Amino acid sequence: MPDLGEAPRADRNLDALFRPRGVAVVGASPDPGSPGHQILRFATQTHFPGPVYPVHPSAREVGGLRAYPSILEIPGPVDLVVLAVPARVCVEVARQVAQRHDERGDAVAVVVVSGGFAETETPEGRALQEALLEPLRPRGIRLVGPNCMGVLDAHTGVTTTFDLGTYPEGGLALVTQSGAFAISFLQWARPLGMVGLSKLVSVGNMADVDLTELVRYLGSDPHTRVIGVYMEGLRDARAFVLAAGEVTRKKPVVVYKAGRTELGARAASSHTGSLAGQDEIYEGAFRQAGVLRARRVSEFYDLVRVLEKLPLPSGNRVCVCSAIGGPGTICVDEVAASGVLQMAHLSDEVREALRGVLAPTATIGRPDGYLDMTGSIRAQTHGEVLRVVLEAPEVDAVLLLTTPPAFLDEEEVAEAILDAYRAQPEPRKPVLPVLTFGDTVARARRRLEAGGLPTFELPDAAVQALAQVVRYVRYRARRSS
Amino acid sequence: MPHPVIARALEQGRGFLLEPESYALCQTYGIPHAPFATCRTSEEAVAAADRMGYPVVLKVVSPYILHKSDVGGVVVGLRSGEEVAAAYPQLLEAVSRAAPQASVEGVLVQRMQRGSAELVVGGLVDPQFGPVVMVGAGGILVELLRDVSFRLAPLDLEEALEQLAETRAYRLLQGLRGRPPADLRAVGELLVRVGELLLAEQDIQELDLNPVVAGPEGCVAVDARVVLRTYGPAGRFPLA
Repeated sequence: MPDLGEAPRADRNLDALFRPRGVAVVGASPDPGSPGHQILRFATQTHFPGPVYPVHPSAREVGGLRAYPSILEIPGPVDLVVLAVPARVCVEVARQVAQRHDERGDAVAVVVVSGGFAETETPEGRALQEALLEPLRPRGIRLVGPNCMGVLDAHTGVTTTFDLGTYPEGGLALVTQSGAFAISFLQWARPLGMVGLSKLVSVGNMADVDLTELVRYLGSDPHTRVIGVYMEGLRDARAFVLAAGEVTRKKPVVVYKAGRTELGARAASSHTGSLAGQDEIYEGAFRQAGVLRARRVSEFYDLVRVLEKLPLPSGNRVCVCSAIGGPGTICVDEVAASGVLQMAHLSDEVREALRGVLAPTATIGRPDGYLDMTGSIRAQTHGEVLRVVLEAPEVDAVLLLTTPPAFLDEEEVAEAILDAYRAQPEPRKPVLPVLTFGDTVARARRRLEAGGLPTFELPDAAVQALAQVVRYVRYRARRSS
Repeated sequence: MPHPVIARALEQGRGFLLEPESYALCQTYGIPHAPFATCRTSEEAVAAADRMGYPVVLKVVSPYILHKSDVGGVVVGLRSGEEVAAAYPQLLEAVSRAAPQASVEGVLVQRMQRGSAELVVGGLVDPQFGPVVMVGAGGILVELLRDVSFRLAPLDLEEALEQLAETRAYRLLQGLRGRPPADLRAVGELLVRVGELLLAEQDIQELDLNPVVAGPEGCVAVDARVVLRTYGPAGRFPLA
């Protein structure tokens, strides 16, 4: 993109959010029904080496840990302070954070979980938010929130959220103006192991740390392969586009932008106090920056997990291998309608090789790039077919549709697919397995997911996700030329 | 330093540019527009039309009128000197009926343009995004189709062509049903220049080229409206 202006660098104090030398939880109450109690429980249950310090005005011990009456009394280094106390108390604690920072040099990052600030859209709420920032800003102490779930780092085990303790490690970073949006996705993806997480930051009102700064920070985070963003609105949307435009040269950024309509914008305003802005400008600006915009929530889910697991294809030529008729036809339709994908043109050599491994009743290349492997396919045949098409230079990506049939061992089918996928030389071509029949094939899907292949239940969704990935690949090629 | 036409409007406390001024601004930034003449009499208008060739359009020029057609200040499709001579006083009469207080500086004569497609090109300074450039299907289709695509300024030619390809009007430009394809590069360059103009002239709030007529030989703006960020005394300009 042409020069849109200067971009500020990410602040290293943000590191303290993810790798603090100690975490204080202010509002860690002995009452198990309180958010502060839950935050502490999660914070001590993960592999985070700690230490974690509960802060409570009267309790001597909370959750089996020694409690301190104030953050000023904590002996060891505390880089991160989590606040889950009423808004007015947060303002007082922020002053203590500043004092501690002045005295000891630690306390460099704060997460304010509590609400009651600018999102109330009242003069009192706005004044409280200003008062919260006032001692922190001049010292460079970074604030996440208020009105948020805070931070979770799946690699270091840090968590300040009260809804999620730990999560399987991986390459997806989520930054979100709604904690619920991100955690809904993570919990949905969990049973089948559909995604691995690097970092999660719920930004709330973005009084200080905002989506733009985090996207830039995560752009150079070695654990993060793809960044997923839930966005309601930004004061300085140009700065976001600028930051995202730099990051997308290295790794994909997927955004779900809410507040598209006038009514939705009003809901966003009362949720996080955000200005939703004109949607059509967001649309154009995202394209300009190579940001993939998910139009539906399910599309966001699919895109981030595909990008987290699979290598990028080097082109747009797709081979559809199907053991199930209708869904195969649906995929071919979706490829044709995508405007970006095309069916691979299989050579005579490849057709010949496929005839050697498939049953005589199978149809090859009608239309070109489509294989109807028939429902009588055996477990090993899945792998044999896949090997042939992955070796074909005219194929960039494979959609593999199977149930698998009830007469086959579903895990054996999954292993055959995985073996063929892994047998490829680097860089590998992506394979998207589509396994219909719902929960009855959960074991096969779990095995495939664990082996690094994102599985789909719905054939059209798989093609649409692949189409978006190819759009991103094209953008990158255009930018680097 | 603002462009002289902008400086003059600001001096006069006027929040928008007259159409001839808008063209002068376009001229400076290399944005092509249809040739025109600003006339003060019916005879001048006929002579200008004879020079340009028919059909022509007449448009009122007044520092008090931003939306010309709302006050009967536009007459299109005039095919001869007689028609121009007849339309000239009718236009002035309609305007003085609809906006009696509005003084008129003249009447702009412009040859009507034909092309493969009519586009709308816009530029505005958005509170969240800053200067942005818009393109879409023009004329009356703007409201109907909402066929618009945006980019942040500055943008290069490649980006402008991507932007153009996102609109449905793109198919018209490519030459639908045997129409000759339009000069896409010319349209792309126009978008790039609108971006440059917005960045250079910080007093502009909004720029509207509607329509831009695009054909095989290039593209031209046949109407131009520029609204400034810095308004004069409230309520003075425009009246309509």
